[in-house]
Amino acid sequence: MKMFIQLGFILLAFCIVATALLAYVNTLTKPKIEALKIKETQEARANLIPDSEFEEVAGDLTYYIAKDKASGEIKGYTFTAAKNGYNGAVKTMAAVDKDFKLMAINVIQQTETPGLGTNSTQPKFTDQFKGKSSEQLIVDKDGGVPPNAIKALTGATITTRAVVNSLKETIEQLKASVQSAPEIAVNPEKEVQP
Amino acid sequence: MSFVKELTKGIIKENPIFVIVLGMCPTLATSTSVNNAIGMGMAATFVLVCSNIFISLIKNITPDKIRIPVYVVVIASFVSIVDMSMAAYVPALHKSLGLFIPLIVVNCIILGRAEAFANKNNVLNSIADGVGMGLGFTLALTVVATIREILGNGTWLNIKVMPNTYDPMLITLLAPGAFITLGFLMALMNMLKEKK
Repeated sequence: MKMFIQLGFILLAFCIVATALLAYVNTLTKPKIEALKIKETQEARANLIPDSEFEEVAGDLTYYIAKDKASGEIKGYTFTAAKNGYNGAVKTMAAVDKDFKLMAINVIQQTETPGLGTNSTQPKFTDQFKGKSSEQLIVDKDGGVPPNAIKALTGATITTRAVVNSLKETIEQLKASVQSAPEIAVNPEKEVQP
Repeated sequence: MSFVKELTKGIIKENPIFVIVLGMCPTLATSTSVNNAIGMGMAATFVLVCSNIFISLIKNITPDKIRIPVYVVVIASFVSIVDMSMAAYVPALHKSLGLFIPLIVVNCIILGRAEAFANKNNVLNSIADGVGMGLGFTLALTVVATIREILGNGTWLNIKVMPNTYDPMLITLLAPGAFITLGFLMALMNMLKEKK
């Protein structure tokens, strides 16, 4: 009996040392990792709609209005969409133009199967989203007809669905948010009908 | 003498994948491209060497009855520390290897070598064992990945090697392809061994 208690305490000692070490490393690295992440998202956003200034609109859905650096004209909106894939959340950063057609997407965070789902970050996959409206976002395996549908990744239909459906839902949400806040987002040439 | 022997045994004679058949999960998952295979192999080798050193150092203060939980705690903390430090200080490397690091935790080669070797041998031999096993793992992964990437994608290290008319055999990139490839390679290894 005494031996079991003793063993328990020895294991506890190991765990305390390990936890303390982990906590220490975490306090050292956390601010750095977070700063890098913020920088990375800013860069990703700038890559999606180049030569723009971004204005954050916070709300149910946080999105950014991209305005041309020179003329101040609204070029489009960027946002992040996320949905669970095969192995955790798949986060995509995307840009749409004024008509809510996708300009570019960038899968910024995923933990999918290496070699299959990870191909979602490759341009070969992301390029097919260009110019699609939310109605056209259908995976070919779900009844979409090419060239309007999105071709699913080999062996990673679930990952493809996560990207496609998260974008579709978030674009719909974005449309609603932009239209309900016309004082910021209104475009002089295209009045939003109340 | 024994140092060299421990170093080289992992490469062919006691190859962790083809002979000991350990670490199948990361093997199946990351051998879809040579790029991934090399990345996974290097990351696993690094963790393997470090965990071998550490476990060999604490072998005298670890009670025999609870050694497995202690190893699990050591390996898991070690992998987390490597993961966090890499993310903070070498973000570029973390971007390409970061994906494999959580997979290393469940890589039983590391626990296997801790149990079978590092807790019975001194630090120097444990390092040799870790390096050898790591290299053997990397080599085996690369061989499997070479076959799978060429047949399944027509490329090797992302360079096109097959003619354009080649229709990729997609099944080799999926899990069944990994098992089939692995089976053929193991059979080949056994055949060569019996001939000797």
